[in-house]
Amino acid sequence: LAPWIPVVGLEIHAQISSNSKLFSGSQVQFAAPPNSLVSFFDASLPGTLPVLNRRCVEAAVMTGLALNCSINKKSLFDRKHYFYADLPAGYQITQQRVPIAVNGSLSYSLCIDNKMSQMVTKTVRIKQIQLEQDSGKSLHDDTRCQTLVDLNRAGVGLMEVVMEPDMCCGEEAAAAVRELQLILQTLGSSQAVMAEGQLRVDANVSVHHPGEPYGVRTEVKNINSIRFLAKAVDYEIQRQIEELENGGTILNETRAFDSKLGCTVPMRDKEGKQDYRFMPEPNLPPLILYDAKSLPANMNHQQVINIDWIHERLPDLPSVKREKLVEQYGILPEHSFTLL
Amino acid sequence: QKVSVEVLDHLEHLALVDFRDSEGVERLQKAIQFADQLLEVNTDGVEPMDSVLEDRWCLYLREDDVTEGNCTKELLENAREKVEEYFVAPPGNIPLSKLEERETFLQGS
Repeated sequence: LAPWIPVVGLEIHAQISSNSKLFSGSQVQFAAPPNSLVSFFDASLPGTLPVLNRRCVEAAVMTGLALNCSINKKSLFDRKHYFYADLPAGYQITQQRVPIAVNGSLSYSLCIDNKMSQMVTKTVRIKQIQLEQDSGKSLHDDTRCQTLVDLNRAGVGLMEVVMEPDMCCGEEAAAAVRELQLILQTLGSSQAVMAEGQLRVDANVSVHHPGEPYGVRTEVKNINSIRFLAKAVDYEIQRQIEELENGGTILNETRAFDSKLGCTVPMRDKEGKQDYRFMPEPNLPPLILYDAKSLPANMNHQQVINIDWIHERLPDLPSVKREKLVEQYGILPEHSFTLL
Repeated sequence: QKVSVEVLDHLEHLALVDFRDSEGVERLQKAIQFADQLLEVNTDGVEPMDSVLEDRWCLYLREDDVTEGNCTKELLENAREKVEEYFVAPPGNIPLSKLEERETFLQGS
């Protein structure tokens, strides 16, 4: 039987750690009375306009720099249209054409065996980081056949980090996300607590034979912890292999991970391929960032974001801290991973 | 070139626009024809323009202060149905009626 090569890519949404939302002045806070942290703009009342939060841009630039990305000095905002009760405007403001950061990389480590005695370093390419709005929260009440909508989360700033399909199993995906989580927490750009929905991960999985083109991929959602991420990815790889070996085909579909059953199931309400009708966000001009060379002479400081200024003030990343621990205290590299 | 029924159906799903009668469909055809004139212009190597204001339109950056919110009562006044400060919505997206049903409606008007 010919061997299978699993291919895993990730789309990670990290909630930006800020006082207020991406395009409005309502507060960002977990667990507050329903619809108490909602402005007229968040509720999509006519006549309201988005106003970009400076802190959210800085968080995205910091994260881009920490992930070795090129920061786009000019990035654009777009509308992504779809209908759902927790998206009152009927579209999400995102960055589809030109995101704020592109072409980065993330290094992470894995134990070769389970005893942590030998570590191997892997790298995953970061395709891009984009700024976008979070949606509100839907609570499904099946008994009364209705959905309760809380817009407290609607409009909170997100950084979507797209990782190229350079991973091959659940363990690699989990290790990459764990390292990203540590980096975000070190930077302070996101608290990245998965249990509070501050870090959400969707996995794209496919399998193929060596030398053949990539197989059809499925998207796996509803993964609520790093442990479940590894399980979901490994389950999906196995499911696809079994399906193909039994002569079946893989559908390009979205599946949800069921943590109780430990399997993935097709998601309802996702009929066919979505057409998001992307268009430029007409209420926002391009986002222009500067560096030491291009700094404008006569502009209000508060209106200027200097990439080099942010770069100089980046804290030591986990990988650097580990190296320093090994150097300073002479501990084994494996132990530096236990500490950080 | 006429707009096919499949395209019409697709548009109605995407935009929840009801083309209701043949006059609506005719208007859509005319709008497409009007916009198609843009295709006559050669734009090879030309960057798309987002705004006629170009570089003069500066994006305003707001300070990260909490200045809004706390108007639950006002917001819920707009809700047809509410449950304890939550907006109430149907359990999922309500699918559009089948194409055949809508087609007979179209012909009937």
